[in-house]
Amino acid sequence: MSAPFQPGAGSPTAGLPRWVRWSVYVRSLVLQASWNHQRMQNLGLLFCLLPWLRRRTRDAERDRLFCRRYFEFFNTNPYLAGYVMGGLLRLEQERDGAGGLPRGQAQTFRDSLARALASLGDQLFWLGLRPAVALLGCVLALAAGGAGIVALGSLALLVIVGQLVWRWQAIGRGYAAGYDIVNLLGDARWHRAIGGAKRATLVLAGVLAGWFLKAGWDHAPRTGVTTWISLLVLGGIMVLPTLLRRRWAGEFIILAAAVLGVVLTFALGTKGS
Amino acid sequence: MMLPELAFAPGNAEWGLVGWLALLAGCLALDETSGAQTWLSQPLPAALLAGLVCGSPMAGLAVGLPLQLALTMNLPVGQTVTGDASGAAVAGVGGAVLSGRLPAVLGAGSGDPALTGWLLLGAALISLCGHPLIQAERRLHLVWMLQGRRTLRDGRLGRLERIHLRCVLATVLRGAVFGAAGTLAVAGLWVPVYDAMPAGLSPALSWLPWLAGALGLGAVFERYGLSPHWRWVTVGVAAGWLLGVAA
Repeated sequence: MSAPFQPGAGSPTAGLPRWVRWSVYVRSLVLQASWNHQRMQNLGLLFCLLPWLRRRTRDAERDRLFCRRYFEFFNTNPYLAGYVMGGLLRLEQERDGAGGLPRGQAQTFRDSLARALASLGDQLFWLGLRPAVALLGCVLALAAGGAGIVALGSLALLVIVGQLVWRWQAIGRGYAAGYDIVNLLGDARWHRAIGGAKRATLVLAGVLAGWFLKAGWDHAPRTGVTTWISLLVLGGIMVLPTLLRRRWAGEFIILAAAVLGVVLTFALGTKGS
Repeated sequence: MMLPELAFAPGNAEWGLVGWLALLAGCLALDETSGAQTWLSQPLPAALLAGLVCGSPMAGLAVGLPLQLALTMNLPVGQTVTGDASGAAVAGVGGAVLSGRLPAVLGAGSGDPALTGWLLLGAALISLCGHPLIQAERRLHLVWMLQGRRTLRDGRLGRLERIHLRCVLATVLRGAVFGAAGTLAVAGLWVPVYDAMPAGLSPALSWLPWLAGALGLGAVFERYGLSPHWRWVTVGVAAGWLLGVAA
């Protein structure tokens, strides 16, 4: 359990000066800029934590040891990295003036938390929200017609502001929790959100599939293909990856579609649109 | 087939536009791999932004929509960055506008649907070309990061900050150069090749955005499992069909 840093302070983040939090936050937006294959986000994490260190009186030996603690391998989901940073700043703050945080303690906290957050973040953001938002954008672009650009702009604004606010709060929550961040990780809402995002992705993919099939139905007579063949082709292609149990990168999907297009054109003798 | 004549000779205005597109591609590259990783570097918003910069948002929508559908499941989980999709989206839209062509939006009446397919194919190839560049940049990051070990001996913090900022700059520069080169390649080479293509390939290219989009949606179903979630998908398909009727 982390001892409260400033007993009686009004806010749990009172020990973290606003300017330091702001600097850490701004820097955390480019956490991955120096991503490398050996230590991944190590330099990024150190870059984010330096504003806190710079507010201390200069001590080359202490600075050197601080950098050694965080120059090691580090990798987590960038949207949740604020929890790690906030937590580490809390631990550093508590041991400030007492020789600094022991290297092993920093390593254990950082690595275990980073691993758990990487898994959660990948599930929630990369596999859940990111495809859901991408598909929602496609639905809006198709449904809104001429107002599609305004709709997409509004969606972009919502997503960007939402995640910037999330990241700001993550630093504060990580700092306030300290070692108690484990309780936060066990919150059932994470898993409910992951499930909800994945269901939303599937519904939106279904909406687009339905729109595709309807458009294929309407479009078919112009290409010289019967409507049923058009539906069968589009529907068949949508279940093809499931049947083949293969995952291709999007670029290879386009190349495969080009080959399919040529084959279909010559097989069905279509006239084009 | 005769080699097409390279008819694209950019004037001052076009060079200015290429410059703006390069700047946009640089910022999007930062957003895609290094920076805030907002939604803007996804193919649809990236293409739309490129369209707005070029004064032709519909061209952005035409290229961005099928590209987004095909690339939806390109996720940065693990180390699987496949290509530079945002740079490719900018190049596809910028190249089309610079060559004075209007691709058709999926299911919409105006524009050239075969050109949409051709630009989509070009964007996929350009994106794949971006992959080795991203990897090379990351190898460079490693070299620079290792230079930071000197700070572990002397405690000079400024060195680490400069190295990190140098990495930020390298990403912007890589994205900008890639975006500008891609745009010029599409306008100067890819679109002229399209003009010289046999007419028989036109229907296949018109099919391409539809097939790529359908395969992209298929990839989403495969990832999340079609059979365990068929109810959710069915609800969506019914809603989508009705949306098509209403449109």
